[in-house]
Order: sequence, then structure tokens, then C-alpha cells
Amino acid sequence: MLALLSTPANNIPYLFFAFALAWVIFFGLLYVTTRRHVEIENEIRILKDELNQGQSNDVE
Amino acid sequence: MINKTNGLNSEPTSLVGNTKLIYASIFISSVMMVVNMYLIFVWAPTERIMGHIQRIFYLHVPMAWLAFIAFFIVFVSGVLYLWKKDFKYDRIASSAAEIGVIFTTIVLITGPIWAKPIWGIWWSWDARLTTTLVLWMIYVGYHIVRSYSSNRAQAATYSAIIGVIGFIDVPIVYFAVDWWRTQHQRLVVGVTSADGSLNDDMRIVLYFSLIAFTALMLCLLWLRVSMKGLEMKLQSVKNNRKNSQPLS
Repeated sequence: MLALLSTPANNIPYLFFAFALAWVIFFGLLYVTTRRHVEIENEIRILKDELNQGQSNDVE
Repeated sequence: MINKTNGLNSEPTSLVGNTKLIYASIFISSVMMVVNMYLIFVWAPTERIMGHIQRIFYLHVPMAWLAFIAFFIVFVSGVLYLWKKDFKYDRIASSAAEIGVIFTTIVLITGPIWAKPIWGIWWSWDARLTTTLVLWMIYVGYHIVRSYSSNRAQAATYSAIIGVIGFIDVPIVYFAVDWWRTQHQRLVVGVTSADGSLNDDMRIVLYFSLIAFTALMLCLLWLRVSMKGLEMKLQSVKNNRKNSQPLS
């Protein structure tokens, strides 16, 4: 029964989908995380610039 | 010159400074993953009875182990948070829980895809599969509780308790195949596995796959923890600014 159900020919689509789904999940996670990382860095940069501007106005 | 009291010069900015290091580690783990794919699809021998589908093993098993490790990190960080009440541990725990859920999801997807051509069914309510599904639900619940909590301290405390208690399911999942008669196959590596249950070449590929996916997991964990730190600090700086602004 085991051998009949699992010949290499009918196995390969299953193998492809298992790895493809896993890689879609990995790349999706990596993409979302790195994009959020860049967004936060930009927010910090803007905030720093605003604070610098505020301080230079105080000095004047 | 940035005012030292604005909060942007402390902890999180040092994490921003490590961005290059994070990207370098992602690159290294990507190279390892390419080698891993070569070993899995080209170098590893084809299993005699199952054929090529058995190569899912090199993805399915490391994902399961790393999910256990992620949940162990949740457990340890949860205990440390409850003991020291330091949000640093909450950040680590919640990041590890996210990764654990993702890895368990991959286990729950790849398992049925492997089972269908071998067992002839997608799913069986046997002990290993059911306890794994329960594990996934516990840590999905962990995130739901966090999202419903009214403040950060409450979220951290409740989720730490769930993370600590939920970890009880990890050894149950691992030993389920020994404790009960299951459809799932018995352990082929580890202390309780039978001698000669895994070909030496397959064992090498499995261990390399475990190392490569561990590198990937550590990258993701690092990225998530540093990001949560930045988010927290950014939020507190924004709140401070809002509070210090004069009422118009």
C-alpha cells in the first residue's frame, strides 16, 4: 500500500508545493519585517531632524 | 547635537547602528540556505520507498525542532519577565513566539502535504498531530491575548503566563510518538530513536538543514527584537513630545 501510493512521479508536485509554500512564508515575513525596519528608521530620522531644528531655534 | 533627554540617543539607536550587521547575517543565512537546498535536492539520497517526497523531511523536522526552541525562548523569557518585570524579556518572548507560530504553521502545512501521498489522507487525529495543533493554538492565543490587553504591562504579564504554561505541551508533542500509538512515524533522531533508523547521508543533510534554518531563525529573531525595541522607544518619544507640547 505504501509503495503503491508513493511513486516518485506522483510525489513531485507535493514536494514542490511544500517547499514553495514554506519559501513564500519566509520571504513574506522577511519582506514585511525589513520594510517595517526601514519605516521605523525613517521615522527616527525625521524625529531627530525635528528635535535638532527645535534646539537650534531655542539657541537663536 | 541631540538632546540626551529626548530618548533617541539611548538603546534603540544602537540597534539602528547594527542594521548593516543584521543585513550581513541575513546574507550569510541566505548563502547557507542555498547550500542547504543543493544538499536537499541534489546530494541527499532518494528514499527507497517514499521517493522524492521524503525530502520534505529536511524542512519539516528542522521547522518542528526550531519551533520548540522558539517556544523554549518564550518560556525562559516569560519566567524572567515575571521575575524581573523588565520589558526587554517581553520583547524577546513575543518575538520568539511569533517565529514559533510561523515555524509551527510550516510544520502543519508540510506535514499534511507529505502525508497525503504516503498515508493517503491529509490529516489524522493522532496524538502527535493533535498535540502539535494544540501547541499552535496556544501560541496563537498568546498573540490574541497580547492584542486585546489594555496596556503593555498587562499584555506582557498575561502573555508571559500563557508562554510559561503553554510550554508544557512541547515535551508532550515530542514524546507523543513514544507514549501513544500514532499514525505519525516514530523518532528517527534523538535519544529515544532506534539505531540505524536514518541513513548517514540523510543524517548529515538533516543536521546541515537544522544549522541553516537555525541561522535563519536567529536572523528573524534579532530583526524582530530590535524592531520591537525601536517601536517602543519611538512610541515613548512621541508620547513625551505630545505631553510636552503646550495646549493651544
